[in-house]
Amino acid sequence: MRKAPLALGLVAGIAALAAVILLRAPSPRAGNASSHREAPLISEDPTADNTDLYAFRSPDSPEFLTVISNLIPAEDPAAGPNYYRFSQGARYLISLDRNGDGKADVTYAFRFKTADGPLFLGNTVLSYSLTRTIGHSSRVIARGMTPPDNIGPRTLKQFYGTSDYRALAAQRVTALNGGGRVFAGQRDDAFFADIGAIFDLVAIRKGFDNGGKDFFAGYAVHTLALQIPISQIDTKSHVVGVWTSTERKAAYVRKHKLRRGWVQVSRLGNPLVNEVVIPTKLKDRWNRLTPATDSRFSTYYENPILAAVINQLYGVGAPEHNRDDLVQVLLTGVPGLNNTGTTRADELRINLAIPPKPRGTENRLGVLGNDLAGFPNGRRLTDDVIDIAERAVAGALKGNNVPLGDGVNADDKATLPVFPFEPDPESGADNTKGR
Amino acid sequence: MTRARVAAAGAAVVLTTAALLLGSAFRGSSAAAPLPPAGSADRLQAGFSLGDTAALVVSLQHELESRPDDAHAWDLLGLAYQQRAREVADPSYYAKSEGALRRALWLAPNDLVATSGLASLALSRHRFREALSLARQAHALSPTTAQTYGLLGDAELELGRYRRAFADFDRLAGLKPSLAAYSRVSYARELLGRPGEAIATMQQALDAATGEAEPTAWTRVQLGKLYWSTGRLGAAAPQYRAALTVFPGYVHALDALAQVEGARGRLAHAIALERRAVAETPLPQFVGYLGDLYAAAGRPGLARRQYALVDVIGRLFVANGVKTDLETALFRTDHGIRLRQTLDLARLARNERPSIDGDDVLAWTLERNGRCGEALRYSKLSLRLGTKDALKLFHRGMIERCLGHTAEGNRFLRRALALNPHFSLLWAPTARRALR
Repeated sequence: MRKAPLALGLVAGIAALAAVILLRAPSPRAGNASSHREAPLISEDPTADNTDLYAFRSPDSPEFLTVISNLIPAEDPAAGPNYYRFSQGARYLISLDRNGDGKADVTYAFRFKTADGPLFLGNTVLSYSLTRTIGHSSRVIARGMTPPDNIGPRTLKQFYGTSDYRALAAQRVTALNGGGRVFAGQRDDAFFADIGAIFDLVAIRKGFDNGGKDFFAGYAVHTLALQIPISQIDTKSHVVGVWTSTERKAAYVRKHKLRRGWVQVSRLGNPLVNEVVIPTKLKDRWNRLTPATDSRFSTYYENPILAAVINQLYGVGAPEHNRDDLVQVLLTGVPGLNNTGTTRADELRINLAIPPKPRGTENRLGVLGNDLAGFPNGRRLTDDVIDIAERAVAGALKGNNVPLGDGVNADDKATLPVFPFEPDPESGADNTKGR
Repeated sequence: MTRARVAAAGAAVVLTTAALLLGSAFRGSSAAAPLPPAGSADRLQAGFSLGDTAALVVSLQHELESRPDDAHAWDLLGLAYQQRAREVADPSYYAKSEGALRRALWLAPNDLVATSGLASLALSRHRFREALSLARQAHALSPTTAQTYGLLGDAELELGRYRRAFADFDRLAGLKPSLAAYSRVSYARELLGRPGEAIATMQQALDAATGEAEPTAWTRVQLGKLYWSTGRLGAAAPQYRAALTVFPGYVHALDALAQVEGARGRLAHAIALERRAVAETPLPQFVGYLGDLYAAAGRPGLARRQYALVDVIGRLFVANGVKTDLETALFRTDHGIRLRQTLDLARLARNERPSIDGDDVLAWTLERNGRCGEALRYSKLSLRLGTKDALKLFHRGMIERCLGHTAEGNRFLRRALALNPHFSLLWAPTARRALR
């Protein structure tokens, strides 16, 4: 769950983020006695927090479906000596639905491990395995290593022999058994949004075109990136649904009962759904389920609270009820583009038959900008999902065209022309975050 | 959409909300925090670049002046006050938090955040029955929210309802395994006398805290204390030091390291560490331990001054609605202060908090008052879960000896010392002397 645009959901978001604050403060509470040891109740779990999911065909390698799943929001490059890395107690999944039933037909699972003692804080290099499961058959299709976090050129030079972070990361791109590539490690957060302005009312305004401030600039995330040969996953309809999720190992007080080993704690298909659509009191539940049962949340997609909010604020005439258009975009796919039937499942759907746009010619508004290779037909790194979401909720697909936007139209850094596409994370030494 | 909800969408509130939100998201960069300038975006940025709760409290107060009907802003203010209380150990924020959360609940009945916030506040104030009732309300509002089971279990644990508490911790862990869940399961396993499993689960908690400075520091201190409780000073100290590395000046690590130094007889080091902790956050248990260190170092005057301070701080907590009876009773009993009245206090405290800790403190106070028959009853209760707690075992040993059961008493004293030869600066020497 991405945190910042959480507040985009305004009302829906506020309670959730209040819970975040409530649950934070892990230090034993003031005034406590040693006999009352208060454990933290933080609801945040950054290393299990799926922040963004991208799925696209890239112009340099159109024969692959590229999937990028980001975790650990808002990594501060200068946060040393407290460095970021994937959790070794978690299992990270990318799932593909090939027949529109909301269930995984192919799953890619990452597990991470470090060989170092638990007290060595500086080491952010982890080894990992990637297991592909099709039906009941699982096999390891790659073993790789993450690069270190971009702590700073001197550290890199001293411990890894080069201060060229891009080269270091490129070395860690690993081939998949049977075709394709994988990368796991720190990257710049390609997400962009002017969170400050979004909440300053004036900024979500008609015709606001540029000049916003990207609050995610300079912050990093941890990325799982895959390139999967389309030939392995293509279907008759050419449409594949993608989602990502994170599981943690269960631990219980009582031993006697037979229990599940892994519990899903986070999932993500379409952007902003967790933040804007699902109400606070149902978020934990939503995050535990698979897309197959999403019809039970239909009412929140059909009657989005954000529509009512932007009407209150701006009077833009956003339809507040019966939003079958949003249901199509988020739950079933859009007919003629990437529809997968009538089963409602929150997945990022991509029609693999639609060719990618050449680099530099993509429209940031994707399908709303007449560019069928962008969101909601998959999602590219450059798709401006904040502006798209605002306009879609205002009713763009129902003929109510209101040019809403946050004034940030692109990431502060250019994407890379090659896998893993997301820009290099800023080094701890540079540290220009939030600019 | 209700009016309150629409009001919540107001820019000002959302602005500060985002600041709070980002304040928690963008952690760990408090070093070069600029003061919040006037511009909203800059205020936001300041908010998240430093997680500056004090500034956020001010801006929320300011926003509420113009929008006094905004329930969610009151929610946030109430939670921000609790955060302040934790940061600076000033219990007057508890009363403020309660006021804000009650206001939120009055404006928006059935508000989950306000309800959970009040439950959390009641836990902080050691008002466990109230906490349980509020946690149940929160649970009714959202039975699938994992955090609610943490609130329920925490309250039940302190009320001695262990079966329910453990069931709720299991529900928490089954709904959403996380730092919050692992650390509670670890604590339950410790209470059940399974320290090895407790350590393993706390290590899972440590992994789940990866990248988060304060949670990592907290978890390392807990892990260190688990080692400490089984006498493994050599394993405990590196955890405390690691906590200080990720979170410089972390008071709970300073206090814990002081105890290691104290146990090793390096009293000057211990005093220096504990003084740093007290200077940063004058929690009563820190001040009390500093007094014990001074006493052990042959500085009775300085010790008395700390003990007097414990009393003053305790009254400050009480004045702000924190129940401290059990802690006060134990402190007075340990230091031989007004033992007769303390017995009344211990009975009252145990009544309100019938946990194994309530039982233990009452048992010990009864023993110090020479009422060892009754003490034995409560001491047995205090050990009913099989907890391997050297202090409780020591209390039992002293009670058995008081009743003339010298052999049985010595057996408990030996168990206490075998578990952790440094279990108490005050009492470990007593146990050793008794066994001589």
